[in-house]
Amino acid sequence: MDVLVQLILNGIMLGAMYAIISVGLTLIFGIVRVVNFAHGEFLMVGMYAVYLLSHHFGLHPYVSAVPMVLMLFAIGALVQRFIIQPLLGADEHIQIFATVGLSTALINLALLIFGADLYSVQEPGLRKPLSIGGYTVLYAQVVIFVSALVLVAGLHLFMQKTPLGRAIRATAQNRNAAQLMGVRVDRIYVIAFGLGAACVGLASALISPLFPVTPTIGTYFVLTAFVVVVLGGMRSMYGAFLGAMIIGIVDSLSGYYIAPDLKEVVYFAIFILILIFKPTGLFGFGRGTE
Amino acid sequence: MKVLIKAALAAGLALSAAPSFAQDTIKIGALYPFSGGLALLGDESFRGLEIAVEERNAAGGINGRKLEIVRGDAVDPNQAVGEARRLTSVDKVSVIFGTYSSSLSLAATQVAELAGVPYFELGAVSDPITERGFKNVYRTNPTARMFANRMVSAVAEAVAPALGVDPKSLKIAIIHEDSLYGQTVAGYQQARAKEMGLNVVETLPYSAKSVDLTPVILRLKSAGVDVVLQTSYQNDTVLFFRQMKEQGFKPKAVMGAGGGYSLRDTMQAVGAENMEGALNVDFTQFRTNPKAAPGIDEFVKKYEAKYGMAPRSGHSLTNYMGAKVFFDAMAAAKDLSGPAIREAVMAVDVPEGTTATGWGAKFDESGQNVRATPFLMQWQGGELVTVFPPEAAVAEMKTGVGAQ
Repeated sequence: MDVLVQLILNGIMLGAMYAIISVGLTLIFGIVRVVNFAHGEFLMVGMYAVYLLSHHFGLHPYVSAVPMVLMLFAIGALVQRFIIQPLLGADEHIQIFATVGLSTALINLALLIFGADLYSVQEPGLRKPLSIGGYTVLYAQVVIFVSALVLVAGLHLFMQKTPLGRAIRATAQNRNAAQLMGVRVDRIYVIAFGLGAACVGLASALISPLFPVTPTIGTYFVLTAFVVVVLGGMRSMYGAFLGAMIIGIVDSLSGYYIAPDLKEVVYFAIFILILIFKPTGLFGFGRGTE
Repeated sequence: MKVLIKAALAAGLALSAAPSFAQDTIKIGALYPFSGGLALLGDESFRGLEIAVEERNAAGGINGRKLEIVRGDAVDPNQAVGEARRLTSVDKVSVIFGTYSSSLSLAATQVAELAGVPYFELGAVSDPITERGFKNVYRTNPTARMFANRMVSAVAEAVAPALGVDPKSLKIAIIHEDSLYGQTVAGYQQARAKEMGLNVVETLPYSAKSVDLTPVILRLKSAGVDVVLQTSYQNDTVLFFRQMKEQGFKPKAVMGAGGGYSLRDTMQAVGAENMEGALNVDFTQFRTNPKAAPGIDEFVKKYEAKYGMAPRSGHSLTNYMGAKVFFDAMAAAKDLSGPAIREAVMAVDVPEGTTATGWGAKFDESGQNVRATPFLMQWQGGELVTVFPPEAAVAEMKTGVGAQ
């Protein structure tokens, strides 16, 4: 029983981490309709930047969350403007290849600059276990969990209540109609891509104390993030959040009760079942929206 | 006009003189990954060979003939095959040395075998390299099976006595990353543990790309595991040590199979105090008793004089030791043909404790050195020191892992 509670707690913490990364991917996927294979590499770039800021300027990783969000927003916006935008009219395979190419280029750039060694942000205080009624969570994990909740709620309010949010939703629902209503669709895409990347900027600052950074660190997270996005129904913030929680808990439980190397089998099996029985995802808008 | 003719004649003479000079040298191929992702340790391995060649040449070469290195850059198995072909057919080297990585060695040795050119493997650990019935492939370094055997034996011969308990009473867990490397070593560990009648309570493979090893650690914790044998890369080693501490799991001993355990970066990411006491089985490292490994200190001096830095890993030492063994065999052979070299290699008989790695050299029919045993090391105060066997040890083995 003790182990079960610890595993579920652990899964929720893991889920919160996936949630922050997946929410960004959902924004890009749901609004710009581009499958961003370089998403994990955005995370990697952010983590290297957090490491450099912490190593050379002694900046606390949580303080560097602010510059990271801004930097990744800029990178995302530039990628949209100069790589994706020229390809918007092209076949979607070409857009996918563009992001795959970007991903490969970034990984190799990191290898060139930093080599294959790993670098770690030295903030052992954030890895201190907090004991809650005999169960262990880390200080940094709690911060990630709270941030994930705030991020999802904040993005939801932003989408529902602000004019820009409404314009983004309008663009996502019908690009041509939005354009006719005077929404500058190109600019909306740039902002949406930037926002998606900015989420990863936040994630990079929050998970740096937990994971050392290597050129391939992005690939550790991104496949799971794609599963979460589809599970959550492509466009829904809450869907992505709940999807991430489900994957996190399944990951944790199956790693213990089945086998650590079979946990991917378990959640991909769930994924396939959902695609068969509910192709629009658990919280999808129905077949017509895609 | 006359000047031109004279110049042409002189040039012609110079050209015709060149081949007679070349006959005085023995060309040896050096096939390593010099570029790409494996380049760092590939180059480190090559440096060992390079120092061995310079030493030999300074002492007069092999039967009066100097050695001349021809490099081949093997980035991946395809290129290893291409470069092995070039070395054997275009450069016509007498023998090839290599290779650091097992996948490169498996590919390149096939080319050498077909060409009948002796191939001296100095660093790749995959067992099948010498298990394919080849007549021209020889290896000085220990194999994955020897690593696994050393790890399991060390539980009985070093860990249990240090704890003052019966080895059979210890609960052992084997955990490993699930690619070929981890699968291979763990397979041999299971076989060896069964042979020795040890109690393996858990065998858990996991992906090296895992972002969470808490389920693995909780399984070990609930099974009451005393000794963990891990075969891992760098990221998963770091994750395992961090999460082991976070979950309050304190086994009596944790032992790695080289890989991520040997790297200084791993220790720094984990923290010296958390890595304290972690055991590791690997090629001979530099903190080894020179009485058991005569020449190790001289090697380090030569290395530092030549490259202006301390050796980056034990790979150079391993290659240096292997190259010296094979140079002696080449000198003893009546010529450098495949059968003559084979006869000479089979006659090699170097006792243990007389080379710079502490290994001996005696080859079985497959071409594998049966006197190569990896030593047991331990992280103590941020340094990887040899602790077992006693004659090679420079420090007493401690029990427990992490801050006590």
